[in-house]
Amino acid sequence: MATALEKPPVVAERTPTARPRSGMRKYWHLYAAISPFYLLFLAFGLVPVGFSLYLSFHRWDGLGSMEWAGLSQYRYLLSDSDFWSSIGTTLIIWALATFPMIFLAMVTAVMLNSAVRFKNVYRFAYFLPNVTSVVAIAIVFGSVFSTNFGLVNALLQAVGLDQVAWLNTPWGIKVAIATLMTWQWTGYNAIIFLAGLQTVPSELYEAARVDGANPVQTFFRITLPLLRPTLLFVLVVSTVTGLQSFTEAQVLLQNTSNDSTFSGGPGHAGRTMVLYFFQQTFDNNDFGYGAAVAWGIFLVVVIFSIINWRLVRRRGED
Amino acid sequence: MRLSRRGLLRAGLAGTAATALGGLTSGCAVPTGSTGRNMVLWYWDGGLGDTVVKKAKARYDSSVDLQAIKIGGYYRSKLITTLAGRAHIPDIAGLKGEDMASYLPDADQFVDLRTLGADKYESRYLPWKWRQGIADDGRMVGFPIDCGPVAHFYQYEVFRKAGLPYEPADVSKELNTWENFFAAGERLRKRIPGTSLLTDVNSVFENVVQQGAKRYVDKDRHFIGDQEHVRHAWALAVEAKRRGIVSNLVTGTPDQISAVDTGKLPSQLGASWATYDIKNGNPKTKGRWRIADMPVRPSNNGGSFLSITKACREPQQAFEIISWMLDAANQASGYVDAGLFPSTPASYGLRQLREPDPFFGGQVTTDVFGPAAQKIAVAYNSPFDVALGQPIKDEIKNVGVLGKDPDKAWSDAMSKCRRIAKHLGVSH
Repeated sequence: MATALEKPPVVAERTPTARPRSGMRKYWHLYAAISPFYLLFLAFGLVPVGFSLYLSFHRWDGLGSMEWAGLSQYRYLLSDSDFWSSIGTTLIIWALATFPMIFLAMVTAVMLNSAVRFKNVYRFAYFLPNVTSVVAIAIVFGSVFSTNFGLVNALLQAVGLDQVAWLNTPWGIKVAIATLMTWQWTGYNAIIFLAGLQTVPSELYEAARVDGANPVQTFFRITLPLLRPTLLFVLVVSTVTGLQSFTEAQVLLQNTSNDSTFSGGPGHAGRTMVLYFFQQTFDNNDFGYGAAVAWGIFLVVVIFSIINWRLVRRRGED
Repeated sequence: MRLSRRGLLRAGLAGTAATALGGLTSGCAVPTGSTGRNMVLWYWDGGLGDTVVKKAKARYDSSVDLQAIKIGGYYRSKLITTLAGRAHIPDIAGLKGEDMASYLPDADQFVDLRTLGADKYESRYLPWKWRQGIADDGRMVGFPIDCGPVAHFYQYEVFRKAGLPYEPADVSKELNTWENFFAAGERLRKRIPGTSLLTDVNSVFENVVQQGAKRYVDKDRHFIGDQEHVRHAWALAVEAKRRGIVSNLVTGTPDQISAVDTGKLPSQLGASWATYDIKNGNPKTKGRWRIADMPVRPSNNGGSFLSITKACREPQQAFEIISWMLDAANQASGYVDAGLFPSTPASYGLRQLREPDPFFGGQVTTDVFGPAAQKIAVAYNSPFDVALGQPIKDEIKNVGVLGKDPDKAWSDAMSKCRRIAKHLGVSH
């Protein structure tokens, strides 16, 4: 009897008019169940982000009292040639790393897709660089690119070329950092491309084969167009990570303990945006300006993500 | 049954949420400093000798639980984060020498050690070191741990083969000016081709600046990096490059380490702690090294402090602990454990510092470092020295490594400094 009486209100609650008023009350335990993530995000994500915005309108040495600075940090940011040159440095390194990386990842993925034996061994091996500590990689690459004893110079000399002082010349530094990033990310992106490749229906390949298409034609006419969403994803992720590169340059170019470890090598050739942010914040204790630099970096990353997205999407629509 | 389970769940969730939110919003649940009998000390690996820490723990066990915690990673940023967060602040905190100038403007975060009777210890410590721990307004923040007197490290056999003075006393006496030092570098290169006296021009530039009493910004927040003392250091560094006595290698790279091993880089200007770097980085060179005075006068590089934070509930007790840990006898034990060169001259005569060092051919290195530590100039270090010194150091590196035109490099450095000075509110 009691259950029969309880039922109608439940039904009434499900009508559209009743839902907005009592939704929170009815589903609160569901919200509570998903709340840990949001609470943690609030405490460790949103609050610090909001605080950094607040900080960028102040002068602060990290310890004493904050002093209101208005827009002066941003005004200085716009006129700071070091910041602009760090954007240039980051973009050059990003381009040097990303385009070869995407090409290699694509080739690797196609090869992995057609591999018959040891498929999982290959996948594991290609993924391994991505989970290796960047610090460890950078130390190894420091040896690989060393002037007198490095592997790279040994190869150059073996084919009769001159030594290059990789970590002592502006272009050498950029190439070394980009190579490190390429090595680290090729395998990861190859796995992503592989997942994309496996969504391409095999009927299309069969049809192409029946029509007499060769493998190159198949790749450019079928595989590539259908991989466009994957390509977009890879490009956006590489842009976001590549524009925030930091550890690579920091460890590769760190100098004696007495020197700044954020200076980015001779001529600041490896001083990326984030490295510059670290130098301003933690070497100079200029936390307010550091926060402004961080927001500058954020804007640059947003702009390039939008450009990437539009480029790839437009090509998709043609 | 169903109701009570739901009630339990509800109570549990509410409790969790309240704890989480409470932790976020109200600071009163989190203790500012330590609680109970605890006395928390923060330092970094190698910042204090292990023996001293252990002995202090036992010695003060009846009154406090001394918890000495080694903080890894970027020490300064962790300490200021904790201080700014006003939660779980250590009672005693190590402060690194190179960061000291940037702590001093915030002296109110620390207990003024003079109020605890620090003055009566002053005469036992190196005067220039003692001064480094005192803020502009006279408050004393840091109690001296160690110092880093810089000397001239060289390889005995290589100097002998090159026809240079090779006994420490002779090297100290004859290479006593930068002119003689550079001339020795030229002779070295002529006699043994492919050899350089120093790794880079920065070691000349920075040591010459450090030899003096002025840095880049003065007490009145005025930029002085364009004055004679910096120009002089710059000119000497450029001269070192022009006369070809520096290599094109970078310190710490495999190339440089191997050049040191093979005697292609038989000399360097290093602080007392660099003896450990060489022993670890170039173990093969054991016995080949000697130590002599640096040209002109010694400089200092590194050396740290202990401080007592405002959160400490028993400053007097904390002060007793640190002044005991850093007395002459315990500093000698810190030297043995961690290579911390004492800031107490009375330690220099103690047995631990009189040991002949086989890595340096049986030389008693304190014979050089001890007198050097006592000849270091008292200097004013500004919190803005890092920001306004870096552009000049970067540009002299460009001269040394990339071969940039020195005049262009100097004017680039100066225009960058002017811009940064304006931004930081430093007059020029």
